[in-house]
Amino acid sequence: MEENKKTALYDEHIKLKAKMVPFEGWLMPVQYEGIIKEHNATRNHAGLFDVSHMGEIYIKGRESFNFLQSIVPQDLTSLAKGAAIYCQLPDKEGGLIDDLIIYNSKGIIDEIDYFAVINASRIKEDIEFIKKEALNFDVEIINKSDDFSMLALQGPKAKDIIEKLGVIKSAQPKFFTFIKTTLDNIPVLLTRTGYTGEDGFEIIFENKYASDLWNKILSYKEYNVTPVGLGARDTLRLEAGLPLYGHELNEYTTPLESSLGFFIPKDKKEDYNGKKIILAQKLKQMPLRRKLFAFVMQEKQIARNGYEVYIKGKKAGIVTSGAPSPTLGKNIGFCMIEYNLLEAETIEKLNNPQESIGMDIQVMVRNKLYNAQIVKKPFVKKNYIK
Amino acid sequence: MTMPDGILCAKTHEWILEEDNKATIGLTDYAIEQLGDIVFIELPEVGASYAKEEVFATIESVKAASEIYMPVSGKIIEVNEKLTNSPELLNEDAFENWLVKIECDNFQQDSQGLLEYNDYKDEVQ
Repeated sequence: MEENKKTALYDEHIKLKAKMVPFEGWLMPVQYEGIIKEHNATRNHAGLFDVSHMGEIYIKGRESFNFLQSIVPQDLTSLAKGAAIYCQLPDKEGGLIDDLIIYNSKGIIDEIDYFAVINASRIKEDIEFIKKEALNFDVEIINKSDDFSMLALQGPKAKDIIEKLGVIKSAQPKFFTFIKTTLDNIPVLLTRTGYTGEDGFEIIFENKYASDLWNKILSYKEYNVTPVGLGARDTLRLEAGLPLYGHELNEYTTPLESSLGFFIPKDKKEDYNGKKIILAQKLKQMPLRRKLFAFVMQEKQIARNGYEVYIKGKKAGIVTSGAPSPTLGKNIGFCMIEYNLLEAETIEKLNNPQESIGMDIQVMVRNKLYNAQIVKKPFVKKNYIK
Repeated sequence: MTMPDGILCAKTHEWILEEDNKATIGLTDYAIEQLGDIVFIELPEVGASYAKEEVFATIESVKAASEIYMPVSGKIIEVNEKLTNSPELLNEDAFENWLVKIECDNFQQDSQGLLEYNDYKDEVQ
């Protein structure tokens, strides 16, 4: 077993008395003062996250655009310079190798056409897959994951803090765009993205600046900015209805089955990995094998990852993520319902949002079934500034 | 923190205070601190009997569920119902907010191997 890696901010986390846990090969802060406090601070003020474990990839070369078009279902034709788009990385069968954000960096990062931010847990698999796919194209793939640190600054006060750091609000990037700039004289890529459902930024920069920028941001006490660990990162993203690779997304599940149909275009001309299946499912010409649903527990018990889900007393799937929602004061979760376990009539109902929303399901908690109800995602309204 | 004198602790983080063959059981302050924000607790029924080291309750933080084990065998004679509605009280005081009271089967024998609080702290920290 390899030793867990440390981000450039490891010593800062220790100074703040964070509880450190191994996460996908990294030693990361799961909480500082408490998950609920950190969660609420992000929703109400500002939360600062060390997300340096995330991977970054540079893509350059004559065929960068054609190459990316061939590996994601999304259509990058309209992705302007300085814009970002949420994408998935399917294999030939439409199962997901990862989900990622692709940024058009032409004219922004020297010689680099695009860059992508990928999940920490999937860096190895992504690089291997992407490099293999790239063999047929005049394109170069550079893994920059070890070179960069990344902070997420999320919450309603994030824009004020960025202004304090030197980028006035009118110069700040809009939702899902980014700029190259300096924050407190530190060169950064500043993106208006995040994983909390709040307005906010992600900041990518060289490792050597990590402690300076981290401490500078935390020094703005007037904005109640709080360091936030992975524990609250999980409850925040869950409330916002955002999937997590390895839970809601995996190699056996297509984007449509993971309820990401919204992100799949019907009219993209170019072929891409898994297009036949993904597009057919999008156009309802091919049945789903399983489907992801959001649910709220009707009782005090908390559903957790891996718990069994039942419909009308029969086993129907598993919980993929579950936690108490600090914002709602209810216990929420996602579950993957396996259609091969169900009768046609139930599947038909599940596929019709008018019937599936509000449907009763049960979750097995410590050998007893407890009631839950399918709901529409997100659980908590997103506060993006668009 | 109102830590009572004479408590014994299990390495699985339960504390127990015995008097006249009846005992009060709770979770240590160290365990609660490690768990973080407590959001749920499931306590046993009065009248149920459990063997030493058997799971008798479940506690959940935001992040995960953990099992609670009997430090000695015995029969539940009272549960702290207050915690069912306000499990977060455990974050305030782990000793005042006991979980259950039991009638011990054989405290003398079962308590062998339990640690005094300071020894427990040395062991787990």
